Amino acid sequence: MSDYENDFSRRLFLKGAGATAGAGALSMLPIQMAFAAAFPERNIQVFVPTRAGGGADRNLRAFTGVWKNYLKQNFEAGFYPGAAGRVGYETYMGKAKADCYNLIFGNMGPEVLNWVVKKPTFPLDSYFYFAQVDADPACVFVSSKSKFKHIDDIIAEGKKRTLTVGTSRLAHPASLGALVLAQKTGAKFNLIPLSGGRNTRGGVTTGEVDFGVLPASSVLRKKIKVLALFDDTNPLPKRMPDAVLTNDHFKLGLPPLIAGARAFGIKKEAVEKHPDRFKVLTDTLQKVYTDPAYKKAVVKTKAPWEFIKYGNVEDCAKYVKYVTDLGQEYRTLLTGKK
Amino acid sequence: MEIDWGLFGELFVRTFSFWWVILPAILLGLIVGAIPGFSAANTIIILLPMTLAMEPEIGLIFMVALYASSRMGAGIPAILVNIPGTAGAAATPLDGYPMTKQGRAQQALAISFVASVFGGLLTTLIALVAMPWLSQVAYHLHSVEMIVIMLFGISLIATIAAKDTLKGLIAGFFGLMIGYIGADVVYETPRGTFGFLELYDKVPLIPALVGLFAVSEAFAVIEGESILTKRGMAAMQKAGWKETWEGVTLAISRWWHIIWTSIIGLIIGIVPGAGAAIASFVAYQQSKTFSKTPELYGTGHLDGLVAPESANNGVTSGTLIPLLVIGVPGGATAAIMAVVLQYHGVTVGPDLFENQPELAFGAFTAMAVTYAIMILTVLPLARYMSRITVVSTVYMAPIIISFTLVGSFVPRAYVFDMYLALAFGVIGYVARKTGYHVAAILIGVILGPLLENYFLRALRISEGDILVIFSSGLGNILWVLLIVSLFVPMYLDKRRTRQREQAVPTTTDC
Repeated sequence: MSDYENDFSRRLFLKGAGATAGAGALSMLPIQMAFAAAFPERNIQVFVPTRAGGGADRNLRAFTGVWKNYLKQNFEAGFYPGAAGRVGYETYMGKAKADCYNLIFGNMGPEVLNWVVKKPTFPLDSYFYFAQVDADPACVFVSSKSKFKHIDDIIAEGKKRTLTVGTSRLAHPASLGALVLAQKTGAKFNLIPLSGGRNTRGGVTTGEVDFGVLPASSVLRKKIKVLALFDDTNPLPKRMPDAVLTNDHFKLGLPPLIAGARAFGIKKEAVEKHPDRFKVLTDTLQKVYTDPAYKKAVVKTKAPWEFIKYGNVEDCAKYVKYVTDLGQEYRTLLTGKK
Repeated sequence: MEIDWGLFGELFVRTFSFWWVILPAILLGLIVGAIPGFSAANTIIILLPMTLAMEPEIGLIFMVALYASSRMGAGIPAILVNIPGTAGAAATPLDGYPMTKQGRAQQALAISFVASVFGGLLTTLIALVAMPWLSQVAYHLHSVEMIVIMLFGISLIATIAAKDTLKGLIAGFFGLMIGYIGADVVYETPRGTFGFLELYDKVPLIPALVGLFAVSEAFAVIEGESILTKRGMAAMQKAGWKETWEGVTLAISRWWHIIWTSIIGLIIGIVPGAGAAIASFVAYQQSKTFSKTPELYGTGHLDGLVAPESANNGVTSGTLIPLLVIGVPGGATAAIMAVVLQYHGVTVGPDLFENQPELAFGAFTAMAVTYAIMILTVLPLARYMSRITVVSTVYMAPIIISFTLVGSFVPRAYVFDMYLALAFGVIGYVARKTGYHVAAILIGVILGPLLENYFLRALRISEGDILVIFSSGLGNILWVLLIVSLFVPMYLDKRRTRQREQAVPTTTDC
């Protein structure tokens, strides 16, 4: 393992721990709280490292549509797609002021796996996630016309021949799920990156690949059948009646592999300079999750409410470390480099 | 999914009653389509708050009308000032702009409008009645087959290179090299980005498009007083309503050409991830292949204008088919429309035919009605639009550069893209001055990354076996057709030359 890799995991761990300690220390700063009343005085800018109109956009609109009522200010989203989120993060870290008026809203799993594949230009501990919005488990899915009716059919066939597996991209938690499953069961899977969830669904539905792996919420469609979930429970048993839980079924002994974990992130420097502002942000956003208006907004978009889950700084850091460690384990497969 | 003629009839009548939604959507679509950088997809996102306030049915009609008209709008600046509004109109100026230079802008616009409307209308009606069968196309056109389809488009480089083979091929390969800049699709390893983060996601198409065509054109036209030739200027000054009517009749006389090129667009549109740019280049290449006068392509050939315009409008209805039948959008705008409908609580996909058939089929009836209304509204404008060509280049060049630079900025909001457009403008200008064809460069830039994408995917699926490209029956048929379409014109050309040579001595003898 290279020096970078050692440094990588340690930094990520310290990042989460440091941020948690920083946030906890806020309660001991009563004087600074006086300034909190003035924050925010203007709109909050949110950097989104994906294209407008996608899942992150939908998720962000639903959340900030309610959050703004508590902050008494609006949110302005800026979309910076490219290089699987790298452009958005580099833009945020390079251009956004560290003043708590600038946040980033990304999908933690695929985006931190980017750093496993190629280090960014900024230090990894210079930002952290402070509020997870959803927890969308990775799943194995097939076309409803597929000959595979059960996950065991896939494993049995995978022991006879190499199966092609459609995935959004290689460095994605769902891809890691397929790799873990292959390793634990002895099946042979060939990951085919199909550039995004839409194309992956297309590849599976039209039979270009044998099956696919994606976040579960993106495959809840009529002509698609979910056969396995990388989670400890099936949050939607009625909509995914055929889904077995990989941990139970194959005794994988893994924590849930969340493929869609969207979260707000912030520069560490911003929190260090303005802990009072950060407290306003975290206090107000927590109220969103229990607000009926938020549930209504999510349900209206047909996104499953069951996947909405709050995670604090600690939860986010724990998830990031888990995905990063798993990514390091399969790094050669994700990068093609020995 | 059964065909219910009664329902279709009702839907048509009902959709016509929403003319007050369709008309402003058409006007907006024409404007955003004509401005490089703007597109139906980003306009729908910008107007999201407005469409959310509408009823789902009205919102859908609005989006469909905007989508269809923006496709036609993109061809207007391509014809008038050599600026394709979108990549889908990149093949339009090849013959459209030479017509403008000759003072036939009004005719060219009328031909483009008629080809777009009838191509779009025809494919929409075909899609409406044959949706269950057409959706099967997506099940058969996988990476291997798409490699060959891409090569149909890319082979246009070879035909462009026919006049000066070496320069044509150099330009084409230069375009392909530019097209491969960015992260590869498998391991996302950046290549040739020169450290620019903005190039990780490939060279953005709009700056390349407007740079190569529009900015270089602006640099070139400033050398003269007008973009028109002297004869062209004289023709424009005499032009009246007659020219529009001539354009209409010329386009109608090419009805068979409109039909088959629009069907190429429809079929390519059905394939998720393919798009109008591929369709228009493939249609143009095929049109030239089967033409009796291929040597006139690029000089203002009417079929060379009809083919890309009817094909890119054929794509429009094609992209909706996989969205509605298998739940996978065929293109970016169809995907955005699905998201907007999701905000309304409408899940777009096969369920829609059972739950809300008026919406599922309504998308196509809205498109058909849009085309019907569009021809009536846009055709009279051809005369006035064409007047822009008489504007002096002193004003025209700065306007073109300003508009195109703003257009380069819009899709990603990166200032870098404006510099990129200028850089491509310089490349395009040098290419023009030295006899290299900018269209050959552009074909490489647009189709190169797509070819690489499908090729790497096929190789990955076959675990590195190069022979995978001959592993599909349909793919092999397409390979044969590709070879035929490349070599038959060469054979016919030689035969014509031989016939001419034989004819000359006979005449002399007389």
